[in-house]
Formats: sequence, structure tokens, C-alpha cells
Amino acid sequence: MSTTQTYLPQQAGERASPEFWRGIVSCTPVLLGIVPYALVLGAQAAEKGLSVVEVPLMTGLNFAGGSEFAAIQLWTSPPHILLIVAITFLVNSRHLLMGAALAPFLPQLPKRKALPALFFMCDESWALGLADSKKRASAGRYPAFSLPYYLGAALPFYLTWVVFTTLGAVFGPVLGNVEPYGFDMAFPAVFLVLLRGMWKGMARARPWIVSLAVAALTYLLIPGAWYVAAGALSGLVSAYILSGDT
Amino acid sequence: MSDTATLLTIVLMASATYLTRIGGYLVLRNRTLSPRAAAVMEAAPGCVLISVIAPNFVSDNPADLLALAITFLAATRLSMLPTVLIGIASAGLLRHLIG
Repeated sequence: MSTTQTYLPQQAGERASPEFWRGIVSCTPVLLGIVPYALVLGAQAAEKGLSVVEVPLMTGLNFAGGSEFAAIQLWTSPPHILLIVAITFLVNSRHLLMGAALAPFLPQLPKRKALPALFFMCDESWALGLADSKKRASAGRYPAFSLPYYLGAALPFYLTWVVFTTLGAVFGPVLGNVEPYGFDMAFPAVFLVLLRGMWKGMARARPWIVSLAVAALTYLLIPGAWYVAAGALSGLVSAYILSGDT
Repeated sequence: MSDTATLLTIVLMASATYLTRIGGYLVLRNRTLSPRAAAVMEAAPGCVLISVIAPNFVSDNPADLLALAITFLAATRLSMLPTVLIGIASAGLLRHLIG
């Protein structure tokens, strides 16, 4: 118990471990949803030549599913390092906004705790942590952001993600080439659901359509993986231009 | 044996991602973004994701195009797991039937 309390100190008279458990309980239903997603990613990564050590290294150090799917989709041997790193940054650029949204609830948290805690910020743990902070703030609880709750919601995600991507890498090759069975369709399926989650109406989605059209044309006309950069950049330029007239 | 290019890619990916996680907290916490910058940042992840799967939309295999249309419909109304299962099943079946 004493070690737990060293890392999760009591906050304003609240005990840390019930808060931690409260976080675990709130994230459990969503955990089941990421298991198949993790298995597919691990299996596809293994098929692209990543080893059983490299897969958990990627998913454990990077810990951002969307960017890992994008990276594996674009993976070649040897990988285009700059392309993959740039795409990773762009896919994860939403974290910048997420961190900014969470920041007003963190003034009491020293940076030496906030910076490691933010390593575990994913879409799900951010959403849970932010919703909980807003609820506690409106109930007059201080501090609004409960670090043990947030860690309870985030750490199971981390463990599940790393463990099941590794299992996917171990058992994927046993199944052999899965393309005839349609498993590769999991990529567009995952991406389309992620896009649906970001959908905020047709007007805001116009840059996506520009991206899709430019990326598809580039793919058909120019060999190599240029289509991602061309599509993403043209979408960003159109978002910049379109935001002027709305 | 891990090769150096793979390890380097992974470490740089992880660094880029961690920068996005702490960047918003460190830089943006005391500022407000211009509406234009916010619109571009908001559009960025979607633009990247759709660009990555763009080749699926111009596949020359009718079975794959049909499966993508079914998956697209599923994604508009179902959650992650059923959509992935429908995508896999439709692609697998249609490839055997017409692919």
C-alpha cells in the first residue's frame, strides 16, 4: 500500500486507491472494443516483417493506434522513415488540441507528474479524464482532475494494447497470408469508424474529400507512397482556405 | 535481430507522438488558437486517415469496391467491432464469389 501511495498521493482528503479503481471500472467496457483492433494490427505488422519484439516496442513507446495502423499500412522494407514519422505526427496532431482542452483542469498538478501522465493520453483516457474533471468541477470537488482516476482509466488501455498487439504478432503468422479471407479490409474499416467519430458535418468534412480525391489520383498516377503526403497536404491547404469563408 | 532502420523509425514515431501529447498542454494552455489554425488542426487527422485508405477507393477489383461500400455503410451506423467484422466478412465472401 505504501508504494501505491508514494505514486498516487492522497488528494484533498480523498484516498487514491478507490479513485484508481473507479477509473478501471469506467474504462472496462471500452477495453473489449480494442482487443480485435490490437490483434489485427499485430498480425499485419508481423506480415510486414516486424518482429515479435519490435511490435510491442512500437505499440508500447508510441501507444497511438491510428498512427500505428497508418505506419504499418505504409511500411516497406526498409521503411520510409521521414514519411512514417511525418504521418504519425499528423495523425496524432489531434493530441495537441486534446492536451490544450485538458490543461485548464491541471493547474494544481506539478509538471513532473503531468508530463508522464500525458504519455498515457489516448482518445479514450482523455475523454474519460476530461468528462470526469468537468463532472467534479461542477460538483465543486477539488482538484477537478483526479490523477488516480485518470491513471486507472488509462493504464488498462496501455496494457491491453501492448499485450494484444504482441499476441497478434505472435499468432498472425501462424494463420499465414490472410488476404483471401478479407482481413486486410479491417484497415479501411477501422479508419472509416475513426473518421465517423471525427465527423462534424459536411462543411467541416470538405477538406477530407479534397484529400481523398487528390490521394486517389496521386496513387493512380505516381508510383510509390506519395499519395498520402499529397492527399494530406492538399486537405490541410483546403481547410486553411475554406476556414476563411465560413 | 532488429534492424536499425526499424528501430529508428519506432523511436522517432514515439518521439513525434509524445510531442503531440505534451505540446498542447505546454504551449496552448495559456493561449487561444486563431479560428483558422484550429480549423486546420481539426481537419488534419481526418485528412491523413482518408489519404492512407484512398487506394481502396480506386481498386480495380469490383469485389473490393463492393466490400468497401458495404464497410462504409456499416461504419456510418455501427461501432468499431461490428464494422471490422462486416468489412472482413464482406471482403472475404465477395472475393470468393466475384473476385
